[in-house]
Amino acid sequence: MNSKTTSLLGAALVLALALAGCGSGSSGSAGSSGSAGSTSGAGTTAAYDPDATIEIGSLYEPQNLDNTAGGGQGVTEAFNGNVYEGLFRLTDDGKVESLLAKDHTVSKDGLTYTFTLRDGVKFHSGKPLTSADVKYSIEKVIGPDSQSARKSSLTVIKSIDTPDDSTVKVKLSSKSISLVYNLSYVWIVNSQAKNLTTTEDGTGPYTLGEWKRGSALTLERFPGYWGTPATNKQVVFHYFTDATALNNALLTKAVDVVTSEQSPDALANFENSADYTINNGKSTTKLLLAFNDRKAPFDKVLVRKAITSAIDNKKLLSSIWGDYGTLIGSMVPPTDPWYEDLTSVNPYDPNLAKQELAQAGYANGFSFTLDTPNYDPHPTVATFVKSELAKVGITVNINVITADQWYTKVYKNHDFAATLQEHVNDRDVVWYGNPDFYWGYDNPQVTKWVEQAEQSDTAEGQTELLKKVNRQIAADAASDWLYLYPQIVVASSSLSGYPVNGLNSQFYAYGIKKSGGRG
Amino acid sequence: MSAGRRRVSRRVPRSATLIAGCVLAGLVLAVAVVSFFWLPYAPDDTTGGRLMPPGLPHLLGTDKLGRDLLTQLMIGARVALEAGAGAVLIGGLVGLAGGLAAGFATRWLDDTLSALLDILIAFPTVLLAMLVTAAREASLGSAIIAIGLAMSAIVARLTRVLVKRVLAQDFITASRTSGTSWPRVVVEHVLPNIWPTLSVNLALQFGLAVLAEASLSYLGLGAPPPNASWGRMLQEAQASVFIAPAGVIAPGVLLVVLVVGVNLIADGVRDVADPTRRRTR
Repeated sequence: MNSKTTSLLGAALVLALALAGCGSGSSGSAGSSGSAGSTSGAGTTAAYDPDATIEIGSLYEPQNLDNTAGGGQGVTEAFNGNVYEGLFRLTDDGKVESLLAKDHTVSKDGLTYTFTLRDGVKFHSGKPLTSADVKYSIEKVIGPDSQSARKSSLTVIKSIDTPDDSTVKVKLSSKSISLVYNLSYVWIVNSQAKNLTTTEDGTGPYTLGEWKRGSALTLERFPGYWGTPATNKQVVFHYFTDATALNNALLTKAVDVVTSEQSPDALANFENSADYTINNGKSTTKLLLAFNDRKAPFDKVLVRKAITSAIDNKKLLSSIWGDYGTLIGSMVPPTDPWYEDLTSVNPYDPNLAKQELAQAGYANGFSFTLDTPNYDPHPTVATFVKSELAKVGITVNINVITADQWYTKVYKNHDFAATLQEHVNDRDVVWYGNPDFYWGYDNPQVTKWVEQAEQSDTAEGQTELLKKVNRQIAADAASDWLYLYPQIVVASSSLSGYPVNGLNSQFYAYGIKKSGGRG
Repeated sequence: MSAGRRRVSRRVPRSATLIAGCVLAGLVLAVAVVSFFWLPYAPDDTTGGRLMPPGLPHLLGTDKLGRDLLTQLMIGARVALEAGAGAVLIGGLVGLAGGLAAGFATRWLDDTLSALLDILIAFPTVLLAMLVTAAREASLGSAIIAIGLAMSAIVARLTRVLVKRVLAQDFITASRTSGTSWPRVVVEHVLPNIWPTLSVNLALQFGLAVLAEASLSYLGLGAPPPNASWGRMLQEAQASVFIAPAGVIAPGVLLVVLVVGVNLIADGVRDVADPTRRRTR
């Protein structure tokens, strides 16, 4: 097959297009123009239809429409930056820029942040944005009922004051260099809005049209938007439960773009066609073989290192993803500022693995149960892990469980020996500083570094400390980071301006252009 | 009816349907038996390369992980037959017991049991399997129990009707008045008379059970990996159907061969067991 050549060609094309996107993006000054300049992807100069409808195909339907009430990755994908906006925005290439905050100042001790809000911002209901809404929205995320993934990172917030309608003063209990970054995940919601699990009232370039559960969610361009209006009139997210059906929808042009491909094999349909563009973006999703570091035998560093060295991650990655994906050897993806390639720390070497096992007192191996989520790719990966570990004398019993069972058994009750799980967020290496996290990695030095990193005065200081954390967890083989997923967006060639990296599963739609005269 | 039963043994070899069925199902059985003694590769051997096309050294090619498809398929034959036999055993025994009880019951008890069976039949196998899986764990055993239970309701309803029909016959009354106990009536008269119809039905149920196991494994409710099951092979190969069709075609064809074979056997047995049907053909 010549799929390798074509995918290389595709990658080269993507690179060229991404560069073109950067060129056009840098012309608008950051944050001043609302929606322009934040998406990369194809930046062609061809005429586009400003009243086009963009049909987006996705596997992630929201559970509900509130990201503090367990809306899931689906609501982030559809709403983040499209319907709701934060004080700051995380761009598709991982930079943080001002959005609803015009600017901000930090006190000398680093404990007080003062944000000035942008003028003329209106919610979709027509009410103007005030500091009370910001206070309400932040408190909603850190409140006792919040299920937000960012809740724990924002608990440093001690109090929020609103001296006037356009000023918000946030006081912290300790310094937090990630505050601004974390605030980019806080949606600013109208403090008087109700029923936010089924409706919305945000400030973004789109309003919610209709949500047909189990099928589609429609966004309409908001005429009263404060910034640059969206380059399309309507966006429809079509939800699929099956990746094959989703790809077929793209083939039959029922959808224009697929937000995230889940198998390299379906790409064969699009690779040789001028009608489609395959974008190989940067992902933050890591697949982990997570040990329960509290329990024997995984409390021994040597055992964890042995398992890491016994599994051929390169072969695994090419089995699952063909020519796509990356090995990183740690928890830090290349888009994080503290990334380092650590694949050489525990190299694939079955003989070394056997020696390490013998040293740890397990010369004859042992057996353990691997709790395996029942959805792709976990069962296949578990099969591979079992076969690899059998070669060094370790017997793996695969126990297939549902996502709910995983949450209760593994995440909450820590009742497991080892498990497979994907971790989608960026900047999540800091979880290794929390000894109570499900994997139970407890190294006081690492905990201290993570704390110090958060309190550092400069980004450089933070980066230096988190690099140390990263090296230490790799040296301790705290988990086995099997591989970093690829992020593959396939789109009709008539589309441009869509995000290609989809960090944390966000998908900014407001810059998508569809060339006119669609047939 | 008992006359018909004697004809079965004499006519068996003459039914072409039956022979065709035996050949097809026997083929799968042979594959399963061979798999116990010989496999082309070790089941967990991942050295084959990703999605190799059929040829040499892998006759049917390999899967994503580089495992030999023929090896997986042969082990899958075992799983399919185990599932079919296990489910028929559970469904047959439970169904027969329930059906006999309902067959002998009268008035309100009969009505209640019939209603209960109707409800059980309406209960989807997949839902039942999910309940069993939640109570135990996802395994071939759980799948077999779920399929067997679902099947038992169907068997029980059929048994009930057959038993009632037999009980209404004069020779039962004669037997009872001459002092035969109910258990002896069941063994000597009821079972021999319902067996021809029941066995045909069980054969059909065997085929359905094989399909049901494949469906459950496809949904991840069957035998856990790395045990090969045709259903899971189908599921795993589905995404790559356009570039490696063998992964879908091979288990699909074997599934069809086995189910068609078993159904032909059932048809053949019914043909030879029922003289009126034979004459009309």
